[in-house]
Amino acid sequence: MRLALRELRRRPGRFGVATVILTLIAILLMFLGGLLDGLTAGNTGAIRAQQADLIVYSEASQDSLVRSRIEPRQRRQVQAVDGVSEAGELGSVQLGARIEGKGPRDLVPVVLFGYQSASAGLPEPPARPGRAWADDTLKAEGVEQGDTIRIGPARSPVEVVGFVSDTRYAGQSTLWASLGTWRRIQNENRPDARVAPGVSQALVVRAAETGDPPDLAERIDQATGGLTSSLTEDEAIDALPGVSAQQSVFNQILGLTVLIAIIVVALFFALITVERVGLYGVLKALGAGSGRLFAGVLLQAVIVTVIACAIGAVAALALDAVIPAGSIPFTAGGGRLIGSTVVLLLAAVIGCAFSLRRVLRVDPAQAIGGGQ
Amino acid sequence: MFLALKEMRRAKVRFGLLISAIGLLVLLILAQQAIQTGLITSFIGAIEKQSAPVLVYSVDGQKTLQGSIITPPLEQQIRSTEGMGRTGRIGQGTFTVTVNDDSDNSDAAIIGYTDPDLGAPDELSAGRLPEGPGEAVGSSAGFELGDTVRVLGPDGRPSGNEAIEVVGIADDAQLQVTPTLFVPWPAYVSSVKTSNPDAGGVLPSAIGAAPAEGIDAATLAGRINESSPDADALTRQAAAEQTPGVAEVRQSFQVIFLLFGLVVPLVTGLFFLIITLQKSASLTLLRAVGAQSGLLVRSLMFQVVLVIGGGLLVGIALYTPLSQAQLGEIKLSFDVTAVLVWSGILLALGLLSAVVSARRVLAIDPIEATTGEGGR
Repeated sequence: MRLALRELRRRPGRFGVATVILTLIAILLMFLGGLLDGLTAGNTGAIRAQQADLIVYSEASQDSLVRSRIEPRQRRQVQAVDGVSEAGELGSVQLGARIEGKGPRDLVPVVLFGYQSASAGLPEPPARPGRAWADDTLKAEGVEQGDTIRIGPARSPVEVVGFVSDTRYAGQSTLWASLGTWRRIQNENRPDARVAPGVSQALVVRAAETGDPPDLAERIDQATGGLTSSLTEDEAIDALPGVSAQQSVFNQILGLTVLIAIIVVALFFALITVERVGLYGVLKALGAGSGRLFAGVLLQAVIVTVIACAIGAVAALALDAVIPAGSIPFTAGGGRLIGSTVVLLLAAVIGCAFSLRRVLRVDPAQAIGGGQ
Repeated sequence: MFLALKEMRRAKVRFGLLISAIGLLVLLILAQQAIQTGLITSFIGAIEKQSAPVLVYSVDGQKTLQGSIITPPLEQQIRSTEGMGRTGRIGQGTFTVTVNDDSDNSDAAIIGYTDPDLGAPDELSAGRLPEGPGEAVGSSAGFELGDTVRVLGPDGRPSGNEAIEVVGIADDAQLQVTPTLFVPWPAYVSSVKTSNPDAGGVLPSAIGAAPAEGIDAATLAGRINESSPDADALTRQAAAEQTPGVAEVRQSFQVIFLLFGLVVPLVTGLFFLIITLQKSASLTLLRAVGAQSGLLVRSLMFQVVLVIGGGLLVGIALYTPLSQAQLGEIKLSFDVTAVLVWSGILLALGLLSAVVSARRVLAIDPIEATTGEGGR
């Protein structure tokens, strides 16, 4: 161990290449992970903000909010189910927003939600028509409290009464208004998707007591005669278009990056071990065991990886601080940084293990010249 | 060369493992390339395959058929643009449907057009274009000739609307990775009204436009955009390329390809460096008995070419059957250009990565054979 540490201190240049490559890999891993977290948050914020036990769509919608249509009769049936405490209506429309000070073609895509139930993530809907809470990412577009945004081809005015956080949907900023405001704006701008009074797109269900949401979902769908499809919050998030595919592509990239880290560590320390065969022979001849020699290699790999991860984490945090809100969907969370470090340390240990066989095979007599 | 081949024959396992590893990396690269092409085609294939040379969205639509809606005044403005030849309405929606009255529901994107030359697919792989509202051209991924499709109402029932029969098939004509139907305008209106009984007037999502004689599509698109700040006119190719999400998909895959581009030379380079170090004593001896360093370097590079070439053959052999598969709604295909380009890139990167080993070989001093230092 002492020898390994001394070598690292005295000949840091020897480990320079591996440290630089591993630092690049750590930055890549943390950046990609942060990008995945940011993209996922940007797609799912509106659903998570509901803090619902269940989200109820119409069965024929294939769990798509835009295509779902809940009639007043179905809402009454859901509310009457034993165990349902509250079933608030939810509706959405995706439109372009014209913000003061921007050019006539410089529209910001927004999703206007109409909602009924407040949650920890959302205050009560504004009582006055034409008013809405705005997701705070709209601040990056120059929107301030009291501003009026004109949305859709009908230029429907919406006054921003304040801001909410982490409520993005489909990668777009959101506006949160009353159901009446949503229906009016939907009907003004999308005549093909017109909704009648009392009709909404989904129900946000809160259970009366801590029951089993899947069981409640089953009972709700039975009560509506199979005309609804009730999903837990996690299922509703998975059903969002592109979320699962996005996670699968990113996880594939992350897995590949870890594989690269394993290969880099394995090859680098195999190279170092090959170069040190003579030295190991001498050390073994002096009584050092294979375990001790391998522990030294392992310690060096761990230290190089920790340095690489520390630089990577600082770079990721700096990036998170520098990126303006609403531009690149990047989030450097503590969990992601720690997780990436643990994964890279594991990769280093696995990679290093490939050198074990070579260390074990070193014959002291041959290494110090006995074989010649 | 003789020595290089002999060494490879004697160390079959070592070189075999490297060839297999590179073969797997080649397979992964080519498979990812096929997935990228298939994903983008099934995302915007319908835009590329529809026949209108210019697509005019509303600015509000943010370059998507789903978000765009053309109001009557905007439609009038577009029609009266100088240099306009013909125009036709194009509508698009995603609906829940049953195919052949199957009990399982599925999604279908339906594109309606008023003029078959401005919205229907420009090329069919089978069948013919619709001759009435009850007929459609279907994308080959998702539909077959003779399929009957019914759009479902909010209660999950077809609510009496006429079934649409698939009379033609178009390849690579999906939208949003969803099976797609191209139907005459009345069938599209009927689908909208079936899925939403409260729907008011059904407005077009976009206008398909063809320029008058002597005007090209890009010029017409520019003129339309100048004539109205609410119109967003794009040529067919630009409309496909600028669809939101396409650039992001390309960027994500470019990151993957960059990673692969790093791995292959790293693996090859470090492998040959280790081998060179291991046999440095033999190489020193060979230099001492008169072998030129150029010969040893050529021998090394010959091995690199054989290893990368072997890896490419293994990878391509595994990729060939895989490229005929279909992943969900994404149809893969064998891309000859991708195979040739990646073969060239990987060979070049492999040779480049062996430069470090070559420098080691060139640095060998034959005199070390007499001092015993060559073995280090």
